[in-house]
Amino acid sequence: MPTDHLSATFAALADPTRRAILGRLAEGDATVNELAAPFAVSQPAISRHLKVLERAGLIERSRSAQARPSSLRVERLRQATDWIETRRTTWERRVERLDRYLEDIQKGTTQ
Amino acid sequence: MTEQTPVETGPQDQVVVIARVFDAPRQVVFDVWTNPDHVAKWWGPDGFHSPLDTIEIELRVGGRYHLTMVQDQTGAHYPLRYEIVELVPPELIVLRSEPMPDMGMHEPTVTRVELHDEGGRTRMHLTDGPYTVSEHAEGGWNGSFGKLDALLRSL
Repeated sequence: MPTDHLSATFAALADPTRRAILGRLAEGDATVNELAAPFAVSQPAISRHLKVLERAGLIERSRSAQARPSSLRVERLRQATDWIETRRTTWERRVERLDRYLEDIQKGTTQ
Repeated sequence: MTEQTPVETGPQDQVVVIARVFDAPRQVVFDVWTNPDHVAKWWGPDGFHSPLDTIEIELRVGGRYHLTMVQDQTGAHYPLRYEIVELVPPELIVLRSEPMPDMGMHEPTVTRVELHDEGGRTRMHLTDGPYTVSEHAEGGWNGSFGKLDALLRSL
């Protein structure tokens, strides 16, 4: 599994402002100005957050338009949620085996 | 027969939650979690085995809970290193992992196993995570992230 990608993704997701930015971008593309509006932080601070998100593959920034609107890249986010799903599946299967093993040893003790 | 309980998920999916009733006394289930001879028989998961000689369990708070999962097909080794951080035999064991970058876990995770006696059967409540730990412990995925969850569900 692509853990290096994922550690960058999770590190990027670890910050509440960045998650809020992603939440805003889930509603549609936005420029730095538009993204900065709801936050009590400066535009340069927003730009730094955008750089982190871009490096993590979570957003793309337009190279053509001057305002460089950002857009959400859903596939990377999906990889992060898929990975958590993998952890859940691992535990489900493990507990299945625990269950079967308990049945085996219970049979052994009652015979 | 063992009651099948659907796997539940936390509200924002960062913690794995599994509830299950086993048709076995609580002390037996606790032993199966804490005795290496037993752990070697089930830890897995499917496609893996955990050789007995890799399992080290010091049954005390602060003690080790170490084992190595070996992938059956490739022989690849995946060591797991936990510390026992809470222990109330036969009711509770709480394990905290060391970060395991090879397993994609760059932050410690906590596995909490509660065992409840239900008249000779045992209800296990297991939580494992979190899988998105804030460096600043700011409490996981906040409300604005719920929008993303909704988005992902709609895809």
